[in-house]
Amino acid sequence: MANKNYQYCVAECWGKGFITHNDSTKFSISGFPGNVWQVPANNKDANLWINGVAGIRKTLEEAQAIVTEQVQIAQAAYDALPADDPRKLQNERPNDIVLPE
Amino acid sequence: MSTYYEIFGGKINVLSADPSNPVEGQMWYNTTTEILKYQSVTTAGAWASGGNMTTGRSLLAGAGTQTEALGFGGYTTTFVANTEEYNGSSWTGGGSLNTARYILMGTGTQTAGLCFGGTSTGNSNATEEYDGTSWATSPGTLNTAVRDAGACGIQTAGLCFGGTSTVQFITNTEEYDGTSWTVGNGLNTAVQGNAGAGTQTAGLSFGGEVTGSVVTNNTEEYDGTSWASVNNMNTARRLLGDAGIQTAALAFGGYITAVSNATEEYDGTSWVTSTNMTNARHTLAGAGTQTAGLGFGGTSATNATEEYTGAGAPLTKTVTAQ
Repeated sequence: MANKNYQYCVAECWGKGFITHNDSTKFSISGFPGNVWQVPANNKDANLWINGVAGIRKTLEEAQAIVTEQVQIAQAAYDALPADDPRKLQNERPNDIVLPE
Repeated sequence: MSTYYEIFGGKINVLSADPSNPVEGQMWYNTTTEILKYQSVTTAGAWASGGNMTTGRSLLAGAGTQTEALGFGGYTTTFVANTEEYNGSSWTGGGSLNTARYILMGTGTQTAGLCFGGTSTGNSNATEEYDGTSWATSPGTLNTAVRDAGACGIQTAGLCFGGTSTVQFITNTEEYDGTSWTVGNGLNTAVQGNAGAGTQTAGLSFGGEVTGSVVTNNTEEYDGTSWASVNNMNTARRLLGDAGIQTAALAFGGYITAVSNATEEYDGTSWVTSTNMTNARHTLAGAGTQTAGLGFGGTSATNATEEYTGAGAPLTKTVTAQ
């Protein structure tokens, strides 16, 4: 079985204290659409963080499905904008996101 | 092997609560939590989550500091006039803009904010001043209605540069004195979607999009009279967040070919890469300083707020037995 670099969870960011400076100096955290969070695999501090925020662990495939659904919703919203809407110049169409293993 | 006493000149404190102002190197045992802790400093910049905005939005403007910030205008599913005030923990509603708009510019402080330009049904030259409670329309209007420009300064000495007027990518610079706008010397390179930091007499423009819709890493410094090109950012991007001053600026997020979470610090000479934001996004707002920055709102009308702490900031660490 290939080693995984990342693990994923779903947790709603409640704001202040969700991610502390102490957390982000200990390990990397990346947020994706759908409240999907990516943290290092096999990392004690990351595991503690997931537990602390009541994160629901997701497999790569499950996390990817959530992110893809949210991106497609955002893409549809962008595509529905009138051609002369300034946001067409400002908000580039959301790109597809491929989560790494 | 040296002892703690030999290094620090004192014994480990036994306390019922963490000390309010521990110094670097200080170690103590908290009898309430039964945890051994010590005071360190951060060795690199770090982002942490802040309180969520009440109204998530993109294309907004910001002003103030990490603990006294102001977010206003922007776009939810329509352009809005909402103002929110941040106290370092949470956002609360403030007085609404007189003219709802988005892709607007802002600067100043939470109790002396400045808003100008932007667009609603067309580009605006309207200027408004915030007193900590409500916005008042200034009799002074921008000489050129503009959106998507860089901004810096304070309520009585603001600066607007670049942006989109009737054409994309302009060099226009305008100075506000608290009453009226005066045209200054233009940027060397026409740009839109650029960021700004500093003051009216020591301003900084960085990033954006230049003629040909090319995303740029250009950086220019303003001395109160003219702009000079200086060292470029490491990562070209537009629609990014900004904070700080000319000699200690912070750039974060933005759009390259996709949303970015890149963070860079400028020291008045060169840009260095720092720790990425947690949530990649563009069209966000920024406030604060290079060592205590704030990013909020942005892509997909998010309400997410992130607080940046630069290297060298106090950090309490816990000692755990292996």
